[in-house]
Amino acid sequence: LTEPPFPARYKPPATETNPALEDPTPDYMNLLGMVFSMCGLMLKLKWCAWIAVYCSFISFANSRSSEDTKQMMSSFMLSISAVVMSYLQNPQPMSPPW
Amino acid sequence: MKNLYLFIAVLFIPWSFTLAKYDEFEDGDDIMEYDDNDFAEFEDVSEDTVTESPQRIITTEDDEEEATVELEGQDENQEDFDDADTQEGDTESEPYDDEEFEGYEEKPDASHSKNKDPITIVNVPAHLQNSWESYYMEILMVTGLLAYIMNYIIGKNKNNRLAHAWFNTHRELLESNFALVGDDGTNKEATSTGKLNQENEHIYNLWCSGRVCCEGMLIQLKFLKRQDLLNVLARMMRPASDQVQIKVTMNDEDMDTYVFAVGTRKALVRLQKEMQDLSEFCSDKPKSGAKYGLPDSLAILSEMGEVTEGMMDAKMIHFLTHYADKIDSVQFSDQFSGPKLMQEEGQLTKLPETKKTLLFTFNVPGSGNTSPKDMESLLPLMSMVIYSIDKAKKFRLNREGKQKADKNRARVEENFLKLTHVQRQEAAQSRREEKKRAEKERIMNEEDPEKQRRLEEAALRREQKKLEKKQMKMKQIKVKAM
Repeated sequence: LTEPPFPARYKPPATETNPALEDPTPDYMNLLGMVFSMCGLMLKLKWCAWIAVYCSFISFANSRSSEDTKQMMSSFMLSISAVVMSYLQNPQPMSPPW
Repeated sequence: MKNLYLFIAVLFIPWSFTLAKYDEFEDGDDIMEYDDNDFAEFEDVSEDTVTESPQRIITTEDDEEEATVELEGQDENQEDFDDADTQEGDTESEPYDDEEFEGYEEKPDASHSKNKDPITIVNVPAHLQNSWESYYMEILMVTGLLAYIMNYIIGKNKNNRLAHAWFNTHRELLESNFALVGDDGTNKEATSTGKLNQENEHIYNLWCSGRVCCEGMLIQLKFLKRQDLLNVLARMMRPASDQVQIKVTMNDEDMDTYVFAVGTRKALVRLQKEMQDLSEFCSDKPKSGAKYGLPDSLAILSEMGEVTEGMMDAKMIHFLTHYADKIDSVQFSDQFSGPKLMQEEGQLTKLPETKKTLLFTFNVPGSGNTSPKDMESLLPLMSMVIYSIDKAKKFRLNREGKQKADKNRARVEENFLKLTHVQRQEAAQSRREEKKRAEKERIMNEEDPEKQRRLEEAALRREQKKLEKKQMKMKQIKVKAM
């Protein structure tokens, strides 16, 4: 029962070869984060920059281990720089929408 | 590694604040302005109205206060108000000498009446106030981020603990049944790593192989995304549970040809829509398993009755009834090719590849609030898997069943070919045209005029022959028809 007559098969199959099965969340969040940070930088909107930071965090939490950390870090740094730039240009605090 | 990056990044945020705030203070403004005593009067009122552009300053006769309040203009508006302020200051700082102001009788009167008006307190813009309270939105944001990070760490650790608890419980059973337990595909030789393969913060894989009848078994621990705060909040509205998915690939000679599934009604309905093989071979709706003594929560999808009869032996029924709450779906299929691929009409020219597979999906008890101890309750299910492997090897259809099964498969293939007939015709046509074009090009490129002529003649002859053949065929058909 335990010892097969033939050599044991090895090599796990390429998991997730079907792209339809993959979770698209980290990619969407990455893109969204970059869009928001560009908005925050260009239009000088503080809340955009903050949402970009959140998006980049969410993308990081949902990422697969096989994914590039460089991509994650670059989106991270972009959103942080958007926040910093918004505050340097306009140090007043954010006003709530209500 | 990932955690380190996180902490460094988070440190940047408060640093950016200090940078922004003290930038203003470093401009060459009068230090005197920021004396607390001067602000003491204005503090209460100014917090209520946080407007960005301050109102025009109306001062009292007091020289000192005038000077400080005047200088307190905004950097942007400084120039605008500068002239007006200094003018006003000049006229009002000197004592009212009637001789000097003869021509300006209105002004002293105006200023005199102004003195009776209440003092309008200037609205200090929020970022110049010496308090952190005005930045409450920012503080809220940073708190939210910190909460997210805390949840990430806690969730990740919980998933890790659950995975290892599962593995520790099941390790013995797996190692006694499989020669190779744990492989990540990187080693050249087939050696057991004896460890789970972490794909994600919430998905863990384990590959086992080296057993008679089956090629291998891939176990996927699909936990909930506890590391993502958004997911945690979403789960509060819609509870879900962790899942353990086991996929056993059988050798071709070790399993007969049949498609069979049992599980919760909801899961089967979903699978019947999604899975290629279930939708093609099991056309009926999921039937109740009460006939075999199964609880009402479970239903059966089967290619033919004989398969159900064969599968539902005493031991299997025992497993299914005792652990019905943990079973989501069980699928035995020789035509397994995964979920239906969403392809455009023109692309599908070949049937997807099929593999003989046993697929098990189990729900971890606790519906989200699981503890490592709950993993022990899944151990009997693994025994069920091992039993099913042996059973699938032993179970053979009788002659009638085999005939029906072969007929079904032929039917499915035929349907598929009919659907793609048009596409295949088009593909063949395009291939023929390509060949013709290539030949023509060759003829054109041929420099020697003689060779060209000969090739052209050869092509013409070939075409004529084809035409003759076609005519012959048409004649034969006509003769037959007559």
